[in-house]
Amino acid sequence: MTQSSISLSKAEKSYIQAGLLCDPPHRTDGRPLKAYRQVELETGVAHLANGSARVSIGREGVNTGGGTEVVAATKLEVEDLDDGGIEGGRIICSVSCSPAAYPHLSSSALEDLQQDMSIVLHQILAHRTLHPTNLGIIRGKKSWLLHLDAIVLSDSGNAYDVMFMAARAALWDTKVPRTRSVEYRAPKGSKSAVESEGMDIDPTVSGFDTRQLSKATDFELPDYWDEGEILDGRERWPICVTLNLVPPVHYLDATLQEEAATHLRLLLAYSFPTSSTSTLQGVRLLGPGELSFEATKSLIRQGEKYALEVFTSLEAKLRDEDFRRYQKAQAKFSRTR
Amino acid sequence: MGSRVEVLNDHGYRSDGRRQFELRDIGIDLSQQNFADGSAIISHGLTQVLVSVLGPREAKSRSQTIHDRANINVELNVAAFSTGERRRRSKNDKRILEMAAAIRSTFEPVIQTNLFPRSQIDIYVQVLQQDGGVLQTCINGTTLALINAGIPLNDFACAITCGAHSTSPLLDLSLLEENDLPHMTIAMLPKTGRVTLVTMETRLHVDRFEELLGLALEAGNVLHEEMKLAIDKRSRTLVAAMKITWPGVGEDLVEKDFDH
Repeated sequence: MTQSSISLSKAEKSYIQAGLLCDPPHRTDGRPLKAYRQVELETGVAHLANGSARVSIGREGVNTGGGTEVVAATKLEVEDLDDGGIEGGRIICSVSCSPAAYPHLSSSALEDLQQDMSIVLHQILAHRTLHPTNLGIIRGKKSWLLHLDAIVLSDSGNAYDVMFMAARAALWDTKVPRTRSVEYRAPKGSKSAVESEGMDIDPTVSGFDTRQLSKATDFELPDYWDEGEILDGRERWPICVTLNLVPPVHYLDATLQEEAATHLRLLLAYSFPTSSTSTLQGVRLLGPGELSFEATKSLIRQGEKYALEVFTSLEAKLRDEDFRRYQKAQAKFSRTR
Repeated sequence: MGSRVEVLNDHGYRSDGRRQFELRDIGIDLSQQNFADGSAIISHGLTQVLVSVLGPREAKSRSQTIHDRANINVELNVAAFSTGERRRRSKNDKRILEMAAAIRSTFEPVIQTNLFPRSQIDIYVQVLQQDGGVLQTCINGTTLALINAGIPLNDFACAITCGAHSTSPLLDLSLLEENDLPHMTIAMLPKTGRVTLVTMETRLHVDRFEELLGLALEAGNVLHEEMKLAIDKRSRTLVAAMKITWPGVGEDLVEKDFDH
């Protein structure tokens, strides 16, 4: 499958490649090799979702088109462990591409592209090392199923990075509804009531018996002023940087034309659980070509540096958005009251 | 207040605080999106749709070309998170194909397809949020996107949903109302007062039909005014950007240039 959605002539490709290899390097839009285009981010764009975000890159001003734009949203569903659920909840990611974003692709090629992107997103985000702890509802009975849907509304290069940024922002924005488990208690006076006095406390029989099932059978949603608690471990969601490789050099944030002229791309997903440590969550080498072991090692090291930069600015923006939507809204609300 | 939500209460208010014939807030954004020749984001209340129009252009497959007019191709995508309960609809879902066919048949008599023989006009509709009146929003958005793309139309197509709560007609139903009431969607051409689409999935008493149709036509005229205003505003910003004189706008801009 071809990775690019536009076709370029050989001459155009070699023109772009020669520019990248020049000293100093030249890119069509005048950017340095390691610079991103302008990123715009907004959270809370879909009202019916539990968390959502719209991220665009390279859109200049409000009235100009172009740029890569992805909307991602999360939705939570209750799932029984008997039919398909997993203890502690699970995450499913899927990507769909708008045909308007890829006007030259046939519908079957579009489907393939969607599938490719879904797999990358799902395999990296749904990994157990990143799994949030608060997706369970009742131990052994019910849990949340988190669906993450991303829509690529327009693509002018670097869709993967933008998709991961949107996914991260949507997950960051996700609120898990508070639940309270409900259990059956026999009426007072009957014999069995003696054993189950506390509603939430499991009577411990033996400290070694780990098979204890909670007695709760169902749950209720307590009425509370906010939409729930934030998804646990939201700092951990990874950032993806795509290194576009034109043998001696590599560059970031390719435009559509540059993408078509680059044969090899290295996708690196890093997670930063604390600001000083980082873990590599996923690697993909896209396109035909090979990469030596030494080169890979140094690219992974450099990738971490770029990812940290993206992570820091994204984190700042996300906190800013949180402030805009909750603190400011609250202040406004209390003023009007 | 009772626990049941009333569709229309004794004082003439609906569940979302609107009066009987009140339309929801309309938001129109005609700025350029992705690579489309014309696009529009339109929202009726909480229902939001993005329409992109590409073309007229060469058809992807030769078999789709028609020798004397343009072929209209409508593709509809519904975001999985757009509804209350998540549901991913595939591209070949019956309901989606039906909606796409309804949009296509609405615009077949409106677009002057005979001007572009052997070409194709692609209309890509992306539903971002649903709260009742999805078809209506899609049609209004498509009209705006087509105009934005500069494709010659005979007229606007203005669509509206209307329903009947016992004997009182309601306009622009929200999802709650749509689930409870018999309703229909009508697309009308405001200049000629003709109707290009009437569709309903529920049963409606025939005595109510005429009244509803009359109301829908009136509402269509109101929508037409709103859409015209949005188009006018967009054209003026474009003209101002190009610095061409147009009665009323742009003159001051040009004069400023001469001063330099």
